[in-house]
Amino acid sequence: MNMGMMEKLDVQTEALAREYLTFRLGDEEYGIDILKVQEIRGYENPTRIANAPHFLKGVVNLRGTIVPIVDLRMRFGCSSTEYNTFTVSIILHIGQRTIGTVVDSVSDVMEIQADSVRPAPDMNSAIDASFIRGLAQVGERMVILLDIESLLMSPDMGLVD
Amino acid sequence: MAETSTDSSSAAAGIDLSQFYQVFFEEAGENLEQMEQQLLELDVTAADDEELNAIFRCAHSIKGGAATFGFADVAELTHQMETLLDKLRRHELTPTAPMVDVLLQSGDALKAMLARHQGSGGSLVDTTELLFNIRAMVSGEVPPVVTAAPAQAAAPVASNGGADQAAATEGQRTVELRVGPLGDPDVADNLIDLFKEITDLGQIEPLPELDHLPSVRRFKVSTSTAESEMMDLFTFHVAREQVKFVAFGQAEHASAASAADPGYGFFEAVGDGAATAAAQGDAAKHEPGYGFFDNAPGAPENKAQVALHVAAAAVAQPAVAKPVAKADKPQAAGLEASTLRVSVEKVDQLINLVGELVITQAMLAQNSRSLDPVVYQQLVSGLTDLDRNTRDLQEAVMSIRMIPMSTVFSRFPRMLRDLANKLGKKVELVTQGEATELDKGLVEKITDPLTHLVRNSCDHGVEMPADRLAKGKPEVGTITLAASHQGGSIVIEVRDDGRGLSREKLLSKAREKGIDAPDTMTDSEVWGLIFAPGFSTADEVTDVSGRGVGMDVVKKNITSLGGTVEIDSAEGYGMRVAVRLPLTLAIMDGMSVGVGEEVYILPLSSVVESFQVSTEMIKTVGGSGRVVEVRDEYMPVIELEKVFEVPRFDWEHNSGIMVVVEAESGRVAVLVDELLGQQQVVVKNLESNYRKVNDVSGATIMGDGRVALILDVASLVRRSRH
Repeated sequence: MNMGMMEKLDVQTEALAREYLTFRLGDEEYGIDILKVQEIRGYENPTRIANAPHFLKGVVNLRGTIVPIVDLRMRFGCSSTEYNTFTVSIILHIGQRTIGTVVDSVSDVMEIQADSVRPAPDMNSAIDASFIRGLAQVGERMVILLDIESLLMSPDMGLVD
Repeated sequence: MAETSTDSSSAAAGIDLSQFYQVFFEEAGENLEQMEQQLLELDVTAADDEELNAIFRCAHSIKGGAATFGFADVAELTHQMETLLDKLRRHELTPTAPMVDVLLQSGDALKAMLARHQGSGGSLVDTTELLFNIRAMVSGEVPPVVTAAPAQAAAPVASNGGADQAAATEGQRTVELRVGPLGDPDVADNLIDLFKEITDLGQIEPLPELDHLPSVRRFKVSTSTAESEMMDLFTFHVAREQVKFVAFGQAEHASAASAADPGYGFFEAVGDGAATAAAQGDAAKHEPGYGFFDNAPGAPENKAQVALHVAAAAVAQPAVAKPVAKADKPQAAGLEASTLRVSVEKVDQLINLVGELVITQAMLAQNSRSLDPVVYQQLVSGLTDLDRNTRDLQEAVMSIRMIPMSTVFSRFPRMLRDLANKLGKKVELVTQGEATELDKGLVEKITDPLTHLVRNSCDHGVEMPADRLAKGKPEVGTITLAASHQGGSIVIEVRDDGRGLSREKLLSKAREKGIDAPDTMTDSEVWGLIFAPGFSTADEVTDVSGRGVGMDVVKKNITSLGGTVEIDSAEGYGMRVAVRLPLTLAIMDGMSVGVGEEVYILPLSSVVESFQVSTEMIKTVGGSGRVVEVRDEYMPVIELEKVFEVPRFDWEHNSGIMVVVEAESGRVAVLVDELLGQQQVVVKNLESNYRKVNDVSGATIMGDGRVALILDVASLVRRSRH
């Protein structure tokens, strides 16, 4: 009985709140599951890979492992993609892989209650609605919650064979 | 005490022993391999005692371990093998080829069983036929000393009818077993567990302790197993010298045996009726437990027996001080002391760390280059030392992963023997350069391609004995496996003196398959045809080979390891397949070249030469194809700039260096901006986090911490062809 209670509690907390790392891409604010984030680093120039999609900036050396770097701004069709002192790479741990993503700036780690998440409407955008978990209202801001794992592992990202 | 004896087996199997399983599996695997090798080397017509003993020891070690860890099926099969081997080494039977076959098959069955116990799945191994065969061989030429013992021994001793029942079993006899004097009488309880685990061994029940022989434990054993075999099993628990078999009755036989075989113990006459009565009484009283010796009812023994027992004890006395001895394995013990079993992960971790160190060292060296050596003399000399030490360290660490080719070669004698038997051919295998060392990762990956090549040689190459004789060749064909170091690579050759490749047959077959094969093709190009997918020149498909899948896979596998395959053949005289592999996959010598702002690495082993060119030297063919003349030979030019779409900012600059690289018997000239230098690079995998990139075999980390891509020369050469 005790066990059942515990499980129920777990499920409830998960449904209620989850921690998200939020970051900015242009004017938009996105959130990804904090558990997928390995570390945040300053942007460093990657080694270019020929014949790769334009949003794949190349590969970098992360303490001896070769990690591909994806510029999410290019993937999402942001207008300006400049690299300045605020530009950061979020290193993600997805499945067995380590993948870096470039974003304009990292804003916050926030807990987002499940009841504040609204489903994303069907619309014409650079990202498929299936990669969006929902839209969350946090104060005045709207945070787009991304399913980063299925986004990066999707075939059109060209990150996996 | 009763508690100890009843619970020890389950407690031991449940808690203590599981952590040793892995050690047992490894040891058993090694023993099996050794046994197989020795069986193959065994000359049936003139078997050497030492060889037979060695084979026996292998089977014996496996059995002992299996029994201890409770793998009854393994123990039972090895037990039967041991029975046969024991007869062989005592010259009670003469070894025959079928025996070797059965023993080899048993070895295979054991491997399967062990794999199953290890949890790798697989179905239950059916050994009924094997066991039957072995028993038939054991009893075929000798009176049936050993018959299939009924499995009834598994059950605890029946309350009263136990002795009678055991005696009634065919081929069984009852002996009294005496163990001691023991420092700790509980040790003997292990023997009871042993009988429980090896159901084939027979039945054991404790007898009351004798007043005049303190700390000597007595058991009544009903068994069909020879004393020497039981003795061999017991040595895992108690010293050989402490174990004695005393026959129930049969005084003449026993004393004769004891004189003939002093090493195995004493056979003494025991008043049959009295002892049996005592045993029965005892068994009736203490049916569920095996203990209670101390306060058991005194057994009625006569004086003559007592005297004999005392004498026996006196003889055994000097040996008591010895610890539990495994005197038959002195060599193994010596080997263990000088080697260390370490998991591959640990070694790989070490290699990775050293790789990092090499990079850091290279970084330091690069940064210190601009320092004034006069001012920073100490720092500079320190860095020079660091350079040397890192290199030595790297070499030493890499050598841990190197294992001799003999580990690969050793599997072939068996395979070839089976194969030749099946095909009705006579083939001899010669191996050369077994000591040549190769990276463990490579060894694992090269085994399958080599197996295929050897199979091919045996199946397609070597002719039937009659054909060979007709051609004036020796009846027995020879397949040679040779490994040697050549520069930075290892060359493994598979040679045979069979029929060789037929140029005409290959050409006509190729045309049949729709492959463009003009008569002007060079020999080596023709031989290369056999690597085409679906290509087979065998007249008929056998279950060994001939389906045409294989050679292309062989080539693909070897190429993916960074190796090459060359074929040489003379029709009627045999052929030679040479596999050339890099020594290790983890580190290689590279030449760094600059194109625009970017740096690429060419494997140094594929670089033939480099030279400066002027634009006039590059000619075009058909408008776009570009060639360059190098010493009377035109070579296709590959512009790295175009292949990798290198952005260029200094428009005036012209690439002016050609690097001639070679792969898969093709050469291309790679056009680059500059040569930056040579260095050892640690090869990193791109696929672990990313994916395969065209024309790139991997990546490495340069001295400045940046990533440089390593070019796949073979793919560049292929690119030039289309």
